[in-house]
Amino acid sequence: MTKTEDKALKDKAPLGKVIVITSGKGGVGKTTSAAAISAALAKRGHKTVVIDFDVGLRNLDMIMGCERRVVFDFINVIQGEARLKQALIKDKRLDTLSILPTSQTRDKDALTQDGVEKVLNELKEEFDYIVCDSPAGIERGAQLAMYFADEAVVVTNPEVSSVRDSDRVLGLLSSKTKRAETGGDEVKAQVLLTRHDQRRIDAGEMMTIEDVLEILAVPLLGVIPESPAVLRASNVGTPVVLDEPSAASRAYEDAVARLLGEEVEMRIGNEKRPGLFGRIFGRSA
Amino acid sequence: MAQPDASFFAALDEKLSSAPNLLIGAPIVLDFERVPELADRDLLREVIGAIRAKGLLLFGVQNVTAQQRELAEAFGLIPLQIGRDAPLDKQRASAPQQSADAPSPEIKDPPRAPANRIINRPVRSGQMIVAENGDLTIVGSVASGAEVVAAGNIHIYGTLRGRAMAGARGDTSARIFCHRLEAELLAIAGLFQTSEKIGAEFRSHSVQIHLEDEKLCIERFE
Repeated sequence: MTKTEDKALKDKAPLGKVIVITSGKGGVGKTTSAAAISAALAKRGHKTVVIDFDVGLRNLDMIMGCERRVVFDFINVIQGEARLKQALIKDKRLDTLSILPTSQTRDKDALTQDGVEKVLNELKEEFDYIVCDSPAGIERGAQLAMYFADEAVVVTNPEVSSVRDSDRVLGLLSSKTKRAETGGDEVKAQVLLTRHDQRRIDAGEMMTIEDVLEILAVPLLGVIPESPAVLRASNVGTPVVLDEPSAASRAYEDAVARLLGEEVEMRIGNEKRPGLFGRIFGRSA
Repeated sequence: MAQPDASFFAALDEKLSSAPNLLIGAPIVLDFERVPELADRDLLREVIGAIRAKGLLLFGVQNVTAQQRELAEAFGLIPLQIGRDAPLDKQRASAPQQSADAPSPEIKDPPRAPANRIINRPVRSGQMIVAENGDLTIVGSVASGAEVVAAGNIHIYGTLRGRAMAGARGDTSARIFCHRLEAELLAIAGLFQTSEKIGAEFRSHSVQIHLEDEKLCIERFE
């Protein structure tokens, strides 16, 4: 009986949801977050693929620890030089996780809207979640990464220029996406606050979570503490949620639970501070 | 500039290539300050055509004489009165606009029904919202780096961190209202004030801004 149920589950059409991880500003933790979020989704049993849109500066395969297994890439597939199956790399730790690396030798002009759409449509046939790791900036690569998104995770550091860039990106999400242009439901955007450091906030060197949310006016998906665990995981090519448990890995797992619609209390660092954040979390734009 | 000479377009191309993504799709205003004598319809048509062909969204003119203003309106361009610093001295105030003897074009135009706009979402950095012929109401905040422009009044039910320009067609009775003032720039009928000139006593307060004797006046509600 369980076998047939299992089979029924497998036969069920994949969800095919496209989630873009974006920020505007560089160096805020997009790729780290894309790796952690896709690994956490896969860990929960969802068939997940993560795509590197940062053509020419490919990093995702390094963070995922599969850079030595890249033969064909996203650009090869778009240009018809390889089949999608040939370019997809199956993660060695999780059989529900795949990586679609990008090219280091081409540039962002190699991305075409039709090509991206075709690849995404093909991936939707097979995967529940398609996580797009956007390049920094708001140029072609970033615009194509967000264009077909159903949901967006806007990675933001608690710092003025990062918040302003995130605000700019939120504007693009509500105007320069397929959903916006065809008048469908809006792209659901949530902010993921990374490199959160309570001591620096207390010292007045960083913005408080409340200030960031007041400006961005979108729901908070999670708060990732500044942590050496994140750096270590990147250096060894392991998504932080697959490395040893840390405050950062727990924060990513909580964020992914919220991404899936679960209600999880907001934990800041190791402390629980429900009263303060219960109020803010869950309010909509 | 009797002819649209090649050097003008070369300079334009250079400007465009230096920052293509900044300018393509950006709203552009033609400034006539240094060419008061330019009133040739064909020449103007050529210049407008060339600028638009490059992908720039030319929508307005400023510092125009009465004749230029008529020409511009015939081409569908909006005469703007921006670029003067407030408060300004009497001399300059009485200079170009009022010196025109010709009857003001507004009198000839049939009165338009005001086209008010309501925006039910925050205005994000980099966005520009324009109410060409009426009031603009924003239910939400205006982020720093965003711009809201209206021919009439501007109402902001949120924090104004960006730029707000009311009375963009020269209506000196236009006002700006906002729940919380943190603006980068305020302007009414072209008279503006930047954030460093806005008194600290008005910051973070609920205010209205109006013109009085060509001076921007800010009033707190509480």
